Amino acid sequence: MQALKMKKQNTESVSAVPHLRVTGINKSFGGVEALRGVDIEVRRGEVMALVGDNGAGKSTLMKILAGAQECDEGVFLLDGQVVSIDSPQDATDLGIQIVYQDLALCENLSVSDNLFLGNEPVLGGLASILPRCIRPLDKLLMEQRAQQAIDKMKIKTLKSVRSTVGVLSGGQRQAIAIARAVGANSSVVLLDEPTAALGVVQTRQVLEVVKQLRATNHAVIYISHNLRDIFEICDRITVIRHGMNEATFVTAATNPDEIVVAMTRGIDKRSDEDV
Amino acid sequence: MSDAIQQGAGVSGATTGFLKRIGARLGSMGQLSMGTFVPVLLALVAIWVYFGVTEPAFFSPRNFYFLFMQSAVVGTLAVGITVVLLIGDIDLSAAAVAGVCASLLAVMSTNMGVPAPIACLIALAGGLFLGAIQGALTAYVGIPSFVVTLAGLLGFQGLMLKILGIHGAINVRDPFIRGITTISLPPMVGWGVALACITLFAWLVYRGHQKRVQMGLELDPTMASISKVVLFALIAAGTVATLNAYRGVPLIVILLLIVTTILAWLTTSTPFGRALFAVGGNQESARRVGISVTNIRIAAFSIVGLIAAVGGIVGASRYASVSFNAFAGGPLLLEAIGAAVIGGTSLFGGRGSVWNAILGALVIGSLGNGLDLSGASAADKLMFSGAILLLAVAIDALSRNARDRK
Repeated sequence: MQALKMKKQNTESVSAVPHLRVTGINKSFGGVEALRGVDIEVRRGEVMALVGDNGAGKSTLMKILAGAQECDEGVFLLDGQVVSIDSPQDATDLGIQIVYQDLALCENLSVSDNLFLGNEPVLGGLASILPRCIRPLDKLLMEQRAQQAIDKMKIKTLKSVRSTVGVLSGGQRQAIAIARAVGANSSVVLLDEPTAALGVVQTRQVLEVVKQLRATNHAVIYISHNLRDIFEICDRITVIRHGMNEATFVTAATNPDEIVVAMTRGIDKRSDEDV
Repeated sequence: MSDAIQQGAGVSGATTGFLKRIGARLGSMGQLSMGTFVPVLLALVAIWVYFGVTEPAFFSPRNFYFLFMQSAVVGTLAVGITVVLLIGDIDLSAAAVAGVCASLLAVMSTNMGVPAPIACLIALAGGLFLGAIQGALTAYVGIPSFVVTLAGLLGFQGLMLKILGIHGAINVRDPFIRGITTISLPPMVGWGVALACITLFAWLVYRGHQKRVQMGLELDPTMASISKVVLFALIAAGTVATLNAYRGVPLIVILLLIVTTILAWLTTSTPFGRALFAVGGNQESARRVGISVTNIRIAAFSIVGLIAAVGGIVGASRYASVSFNAFAGGPLLLEAIGAAVIGGTSLFGGRGSVWNAILGALVIGSLGNGLDLSGASAADKLMFSGAILLLAVAIDALSRNARDRK
């Protein structure tokens, strides 16, 4: 009963139309079919968990959404419009940002350089006659905006946005990676196991950041193996198994055991109807 | 001689400890732009002091004038090679490309009577083209740059022999080409340039500070900014004073500074430069944020080709002839790569600076010059150069460890 009530609350707090919806995603690597007709959708102001055992195809799906890999087949809909994502630049232009498991930060560059990598603000004026890639960087604006992004993430331990990422802790790096995703005018944020390598305090910090993303009306796709984190922050849970959709649950109406069963054994037809 | 070597070892031993501490200090200061600049500068000063004490002729203005001249070609190539080292690649063909471009220049200007400025432009275009081809082979076909440029080294040396013909050498007497390395600025012009540079540098530092205050950003320590400007002013004024005491500031020094300034700006202050460092630091990361690694690689190799052509023109001008032996065979290339590495540029990519390559070239040049003055044999010179290269890389590794432990 209580579960039903919570479910109602959830549907009220998020918009009805999915912000990002992908259907029929197929992807093969040689003879291996990594994804077979996967559908997922996520609304604005919603945190959607994507779970599955190792090798289920979660990371491949993420890379396809981020444009880092091209899918063999599939349709992408953003606010109901068909879009194509063929490159990381396409994804960025559509407001889709990914935070990779291995963070993808350049350790030899500073925090502010990393935050704007590939999307640096440049000075206008006379320099506008130059191609964009060799216009002078607006380093001070970069620093200022980096500082604002860091403040928003409440990373208090970070001393300077000018320090190189190589000297930072794992939690700080994760927060910077998320800050980079949020800073780029994104509407969809993909998080690939953001707390996997973190301690207790830093995990809390990251979860707070994710809640903040929901509060700011981002659509968040959250990949994790940690069911406790998922049940704390996610609204819906999509289970993927052997490269196919297994089931989708509303978090409030399910329990960790059910998810584990769906992930490992799959659910038979009868229990599917129950959902 | 063995005394001198022992003395040298003693000095460099003390320097290592000193530089290690300095490196640790710099590591703790975060990444001030001058940070990587200091170890190689100190190494240079140590070498100068050593030879200044043992060889009185070393500190004469005349000797410094020729030191700058001797280091010009190596310095040019080192600056170019630094750009590919930044993305974690290497260019073994730079000296051979310089040789091909110099040969082209000599054939066109001396044998075919093409006007020198046009011949120079064609040589530059040739260098750009050879660099771009090697970049494309590395980026598109995926052959390691070591192999591509090794093939380039061999092939371009052959090409150079073909262009030069059976005599293997062509004299260059064109006044325009010779002028690049024979003209010196009148003393007052030299001072004017130095003053303009110092004023510009001070103004940039001051304006940066003002803007930081305005935007509420963290500030560099005032002392650091002031000492930065003072150090720059001292170096500029000292150089001009020394060179003016002989023939004046050589035009080639100004030209090289302009080339290096442009490359320094390109590598540190543009999105392209950030992309170079990103590709060198973490190629996968660069790709994911939408940087075209392929294009960056081709651009980097094209730049080396272009700069190698500049080096070739400078060489043709300086030697008044283009011969196979001046460019091919290895010493020039190895000294250029050594200069870049002595300057603190990592062979693994992602770290380095073109300014440091100039300092590295001066280190190598000073060493050769000082050893020549002290009458050392070729054998001693080679061994000394090897030791300095090792020392420089060791200092770099030590200071990097100090940084990483923080």
